[in-house]
Order: sequence, then C-alpha cells, then structure tokens
Amino acid sequence: MTSVPQIQVFSVEGKADSELPLPDVFKAPIRSDIVQTVHAGMAKNKRQAYAVSVKAGHQTSAESWGTGRAVARIPRVSGGGTHRAGQAAFGNMCRSGRMFAPTKVWRRWHVKINLNQKRFATASAIAASASQPLVLSRGHKISSTPSIPLVVSSSSLPELAKTRSAVALLKAVGAYSDVVKVSKSKKLRAGKGKLRGRRHRQRRGPLVIYDPATDGKLLSKAFRNIPGVETCPVSALNLLQLAPGGHLGRFVIWSSDAFKSLDSIYGTSTTPSSTKKDYTLPSAQVTNPDIGRLINSSEIQSVIRAAKGGAKTKRAGGQKKNPLTNKQIQLRLNPYAKGYADAKLGQAKYKEGKPERAAATFSDVLNTA
Amino acid sequence: MSSAAYPASPDLLWEITRNNTSFLVKRKTGGGVQLSRDPLNLRNVHSRKHSGAVNKQAIGIVPSEKGGISLLTKRKNGTTVTTSYKPAKTSRKSYHNIVNSTAKKGYRADLRGDAVARASALIRSYRKAVKPTPESTPRGAKAKKDAANAASADL
Repeated sequence: MTSVPQIQVFSVEGKADSELPLPDVFKAPIRSDIVQTVHAGMAKNKRQAYAVSVKAGHQTSAESWGTGRAVARIPRVSGGGTHRAGQAAFGNMCRSGRMFAPTKVWRRWHVKINLNQKRFATASAIAASASQPLVLSRGHKISSTPSIPLVVSSSSLPELAKTRSAVALLKAVGAYSDVVKVSKSKKLRAGKGKLRGRRHRQRRGPLVIYDPATDGKLLSKAFRNIPGVETCPVSALNLLQLAPGGHLGRFVIWSSDAFKSLDSIYGTSTTPSSTKKDYTLPSAQVTNPDIGRLINSSEIQSVIRAAKGGAKTKRAGGQKKNPLTNKQIQLRLNPYAKGYADAKLGQAKYKEGKPERAAATFSDVLNTA
Repeated sequence: MSSAAYPASPDLLWEITRNNTSFLVKRKTGGGVQLSRDPLNLRNVHSRKHSGAVNKQAIGIVPSEKGGISLLTKRKNGTTVTTSYKPAKTSRKSYHNIVNSTAKKGYRADLRGDAVARASALIRSYRKAVKPTPESTPRGAKAKKDAANAASADL
C-alpha cells in the first residue's frame, strides 16, 4: 500500500465532483476486543445512582420471641390490637422485611478507561466504518450508496438548514434506505423502560460527522428529526456513536471538511496529532493479516519442507465390495465367470425340456401301499 | 457501492463477524444451527467458506422476475454484480450459464456444486405440481360417520 487511496467527494446532489486522500486514521488496526471493552466502560459512565431507602424494612421495633413458643426465632413485631403484631419482620424472607443485600448509592457506577485505550478504540471504530463488509454486517442498508467511506462536499452544507433538504441529501447519496430501515424498525420497548422515557426501540441509521467551524451548526438541526440519523462534530467523536453496542462498522457520512481535518486531529504516520498531546496513531502488529496469502507466499513456501507421506487416495483397510454386483471383484474370485456370462449359460434352457411324467403304475403303487 | 479504503483481510473480517453479524441466524433446534441471511451465501450456512460479506469473491443465486434466476457475484471493489437469466428451456442451460460465468473462469470453483444445487432447487420451486393430489376418500370409521352425517342431513 504505497499510494494513498483517493476517496470520491459527492456534492449535495449526489454527483462525484472531487477527490480527497484517505486520512491515516483509516489505517488504524481494527480491534473489536478493544472497542468492546472500552464501549462497555463508556456505556456505564452515564448511569445515575439508585438504591432502596436505608430504612426500608427496618421501621419496626420487632424482637425475637426466643425459643419455647413453637415459632421460628425470627424477630416479630411486638404489641397487640393489630394484625401486624406477632408477624415476622426484618428478614429478606419476610413480608415487608428488607431486601437481601439492599442496594446502596455507593455502588461503583463509573469505570475509568485509560485515555490511550479510548483513543485506540475511536481510531479503530473510524477505520472499521470505512470497511464495506463490516458496515453491511452491522446491518446498514448501503446497497445504493456510491462509495464507503461516504464523503459529502462541505461547500453547501452551511446552508443546509431544513430537514427537507437534509432528506434530499440522504436520498441523493443513497443513504435514505438506511433511514427507511430505521423508521420501519420502531417497536414498543419490552418492560418497565416504557414508563421511564424509553418508550420505543429502533435501529441506528447513518451518523453525519461535520466540522462545526466551517459546516456550521444548522446542519444538526436539519438532521435531528430524521429517525435514526445522528450528527457529531469531528472534534468530539464518540465511541458510543461510532460503534453502538460495541459493534464495529457504523455507517458514517463525512463532510469533506471533517474528513480533511481527521489528519490533524488524529495525526498521520509521520506527524503527531495537533489536538491530542503526544499522540500518534496505533499501528498494526501484522502488516499482512491475509493468512492464505502468507502461507502461499514464496518466502514461506521456499523454506518449508515437503509434506510427509503421499496423498492418501486409498481407504485404510480397503473397502469391501460385493462380488455379486461388482464384476471386477467377481472375476478375481471366479475367473470362469466371464466365459460363463459370454456363453449365456445362465440363461440357457434345459436341453431335454420338461421332465417326463411318471407312468400310471407309479402313482398306483404309491397310493395303494 | 464500493469501498475505496484500505481493504481489511477476509480472515480478519471473519474473526470480527464470526460471532456477531446482522446476517447471522441462530436457532436452538438442530443442535444450535447457525444460518446466514446473506444473499451471497449459496447454502445459507454461517461459515467462512460460504460467507458472502467476508470473502473477496462470492456467488449468490436469487430468484428474479417471471421465473428467472439472478446470479450475484462480487467485484474486486466489493460491488455486487447482478446478472439475470430468463427461464431457460431446460434447467441444464441455466446451470451452464452459471458455471460458465463463474467456476469455469476460475471464480470460486469450489462453489460450483453449491451454485448448481441452489439454481436447481430454485427452478424446481417454480414448477407447478404435475397433477393435483386427489381428494382423500374416507375409509373405516370415518367413512361410516360421514355416511351417517349425510343421512341425518337428508332427513
């Protein structure tokens, strides 16, 4: 890969009008394991603390009755005059007792993730978003998309203020079938989440990444009412959007300015990043991960010894063949079989014809005796 | 749609998509079969060999309009090419078309049998039943019951 691939840039009408070199961040190794662990940590960092009341189940002055009264020694509510008196209390097995191991607000809700790991995961997710098989595998509908990665020219994006024109843009670049997939997927959520502001579930559509300095912020308002479409400034890329669920290959629509600025944000193989201090992109451990090509390469084939033993064509122990149906086996056992078959002796009629009937005296003697 | 970026190796892609991909269908029946919804998968099984998304070359056979067959192949840049064949006089002609444009050109010769088998299954599904299955004539207890019902209806 000596030459840098050139990526087509599409106008808002969907016509290819120029080309841009592919930024080096797309060369980052695709490490699904790192993306998954970082995503699992990041997804936890938006959680809010919850717990049952510390008093729950303990707001009674119950005491055990001790032994000798033929009831269990669990604490019992004291007093009389109400049904509650004499009922067991406190234990997790008791009605209106406290829960087992009551939840506490000081549970470890958040996870620290090393900054370099987070950057690795983001770079990895960006690289994966340029791989057409991975975008397909994530379930995006990209059959009418002219190219992956998809770059849209920034020239008319600052004026893109209306949802109608945003939809027209998505249709022009073949991304609208992914939006249709999202709006069709909207389903009522199972469980209590319905009551907690998460009434519906739906798939994720394309992610529009723009450069707020040149593309402006009108664009995010234009896109925000299209189901499944999300927008994100290129300077604040988020793994939760680039790899939702920890699954690589989000369908990303880049603005050309955002695409260009990736080299300065993440750095190239020669220059470090301008926004992240002392940061250089991770490089792949193996330059050629194509195992078939490695094995068949002349370097490897020239040093390996020849395969031991010949090709095994005969079955071990030999296969038993039926001599009655297999003529070759039959001939081996009975060399006469060929002559017998050629002379058609098997089909020949018995020469004398039918046997003669016995004389009448024969049956007389037989029956009288 | 084409991918102009650095192409990832099929082996790497397979390792990433092996356990989780939108094409994968897992069923608990049949000993936990793993099937695939990939149109470029001839046998609909989730495996490295038959995966259409992962391999650089892949063949798919899908029904086209009016009883024809569409042959899907992958170009080098990842684009899927669709070639449609009208229904042929004999199904052998269809197999020839498929094999001549793929396996005989050295394009996934390992999938020759699977491609022909899928085309054959597709053609067979278009065929109408030779003669309608006759209505079953009831015998034994059921026949008696039917007769009794008919008699009571007459009264």
